[in-house]
Amino acid sequence: MRVLVLGGGITGLKTAFTLSEFDIETIIVEKSSEIGGKVKRYDKIFPDFRSGKNLVKNLIASARNSPNITVLENSTVTNVAKNNRSYTASLSDGKIIEVDAIILTCGFEVFDATRQPEYGYSVYPNVITSMELESFLNPEGPTKGKLLRPSDGKVAKRIAIIFCVGSRNMKIGNPYCSRICCSYSTKQAIEIKENDEEAMVTCFYMDIRTYGRGFEEMYQYAQEIGVKYIRGRVSECSVLPDGNIQVRAENTLLGKPVQGVFDLVSLSVGMMPCVDAEELAGIFGIERGKDGFFLSKDDDLFPHDTSKEGVFLAGSITGLKPIRDCFLDAMSVSGRVVSYLTDLYKNR
Amino acid sequence: MVGQDYKKGESEAGLDYGWRFQGKPVLLPEDRSAIVDGSSHLMQMALTEMSKEYFSVERCLQCGMCTEACPNTMLNTNSRFSPRKFIQELRLGLIDFSGEDLWFCTNCGSCVSVCPYEIPFIDVMKDLRNLVIEQGAGYLPQSLKSAISSCRRYQNPWMEDPNKRADWSKTLNILTLKKDNTDGVLLFVGCLPSYDERGKKIAKAATLLLDKAGINFDFLGEKEVCCGDGILRSGDYRTFEKLKKINTESFEKRGIKKVYTISPHCFDVMKNHYFEKNEDKFLVAPFILLLYEMLTEGRLKINKPINKIVTFHDPCFLSKHNHIVSEPREILKSLPGIELREMEHHSVKSICCGGGGGGIWLDRKKGERLTEIRLEETLSTKADILVTACPLCLSMLEDTVKNDNRFEPIEVMDICELVLEGI
Repeated sequence: MRVLVLGGGITGLKTAFTLSEFDIETIIVEKSSEIGGKVKRYDKIFPDFRSGKNLVKNLIASARNSPNITVLENSTVTNVAKNNRSYTASLSDGKIIEVDAIILTCGFEVFDATRQPEYGYSVYPNVITSMELESFLNPEGPTKGKLLRPSDGKVAKRIAIIFCVGSRNMKIGNPYCSRICCSYSTKQAIEIKENDEEAMVTCFYMDIRTYGRGFEEMYQYAQEIGVKYIRGRVSECSVLPDGNIQVRAENTLLGKPVQGVFDLVSLSVGMMPCVDAEELAGIFGIERGKDGFFLSKDDDLFPHDTSKEGVFLAGSITGLKPIRDCFLDAMSVSGRVVSYLTDLYKNR
Repeated sequence: MVGQDYKKGESEAGLDYGWRFQGKPVLLPEDRSAIVDGSSHLMQMALTEMSKEYFSVERCLQCGMCTEACPNTMLNTNSRFSPRKFIQELRLGLIDFSGEDLWFCTNCGSCVSVCPYEIPFIDVMKDLRNLVIEQGAGYLPQSLKSAISSCRRYQNPWMEDPNKRADWSKTLNILTLKKDNTDGVLLFVGCLPSYDERGKKIAKAATLLLDKAGINFDFLGEKEVCCGDGILRSGDYRTFEKLKKINTESFEKRGIKKVYTISPHCFDVMKNHYFEKNEDKFLVAPFILLLYEMLTEGRLKINKPINKIVTFHDPCFLSKHNHIVSEPREILKSLPGIELREMEHHSVKSICCGGGGGGIWLDRKKGERLTEIRLEETLSTKADILVTACPLCLSMLEDTVKNDNRFEPIEVMDICELVLEGI
């Protein structure tokens, strides 16, 4: 029994690891040069502030050491053919492999903040995205964990975090909520405040959606240590001669306009379907929803199945999930695949 | 399934925002409309009628971007009008029709251009005003009342004699003005350039430019009536339909193929409301596009340099509603001796003069006029001339210049007049 796992992020790794415990052989096909996905870049993950890097390090080690798992980096699937009950997949490096089932764990892509030009990302150096803020907060990152302004290298004391950039916006075609931005932005705000007590962090939000276990408590803790939350969507960022960023919004709870000057503005970017989603949908012949994420056969009863037998979905490919939900998804898809393979071999 | 049906019914009626209620009319619980002057049924009727607008209002996020973008909040009076609050009151049935709030909106379109959920706030406003005008549900400013009744009786908002509409052209000797021209080009003058002393100068300048370029054209003269933009945006649909009928009939009778309007307001209303969709009987364009063509094709030659510093005020119905921003700037840059300086807010981010949506008929107190923001920005550019391309903007801006010593050094001109000076 052999399974192809497309995507070597946390979902893909955890799926391969779980399947290997059932003595099922898995091949992880990863597009980039190193497995581990996006989480290996995070120093701390919410809500318990544990190290994302260590988490992934253990997963990578077990994948590399397991005799059941083969890792193919720098490669993608270019074509898939179904023969009776198995699949023949052609890879970009010319390899051809035969597998019984395919699991797609291709994840998501971060929204390109330049598509909302009113915030001036890539025009004003002191407007950064949350991914860049994450690397600033990483002690092993480019600034050794210090929050320095890109324009002049001074320590940033006044920081604004703008929520819902690239989410809940019909104009740019993303009407959905990205689900995790409220929580990761709150985590970042706490990190800034805990690293530097004098830092002033202001969050501009529309609704706070800290829905998971421990997420809301994290939000309350942030308010307790002095992170300010202002309800209002920022309409515009403009730059002042000294590089500071002026932000305008309406405080919708007071019904009054607010204007603030900040050293650094971080845009909490939402998530988009993975870049090659359209190509993958074509190769595997499966459907995507209007939001661009992949559709499962039935959201409630068969959350991992697709319209093609033997092709399964897991992780953020079916919509955004926090890290712990991705792990859950990985384990539940493994269960589904095991039952599928048992069925397949029984009838042979 | 997730993400699949958020715009249900899109194909059937063009844009149906009723994804939540699937097009069913929504009945309001009684207490929702309790405060509307005991005329609760009016609110309900209105909301059912405006189903499209109503449903889109229901999905408002209350994020406040519209209020931030609204020029009214830039006044020192500190946000007397908030589109966000207005929508919240609307969906709770709590709008105070007896107050002035309904008449603050100038239909400039700033809110619509920033709204992340594309709520057609201007259409919502139009329908609510319709409720006040046709059903008498609330307060209607006196000056607006007389403009509307004038439109009904004299087909222009200024109580002027319809037979004197073409008087401005009588002293002119235009060679290219032909009653039965084969080109089918028509100049739609509009009410302000026909009657207002200052406006007449724009009409004259435009016709002289056409004459100099040797373009055969026609105009309706006494047969022309108001385009109905201000009336439609004030909510009087019936009068608008009457005016529209008179104008379209005269167009058809004369075999018109192209209509060029001096005012961007006439252009916008003709483009969007004169004919049903997919029926391109004739081309409508603002005069500024024709002027741009005449200059780029070399039909107009600029001889005299005009050594002045100018700045350009974008009319909302050119910039925000129709995205015509580069052509006027190209025209200004092509004039010899002209230095163009931009104001802080320009192009699609330009600030309204306050004249749209019936605003030209309302009197605002000193300190509450949007023109003041605009003129202060003009002062800081140190420009000699404030150029615009809309008779309404010109009239609003010049009124404020005349009544306020601060703005004395500014000269307000229409782009046609400026081009004519160079010839």
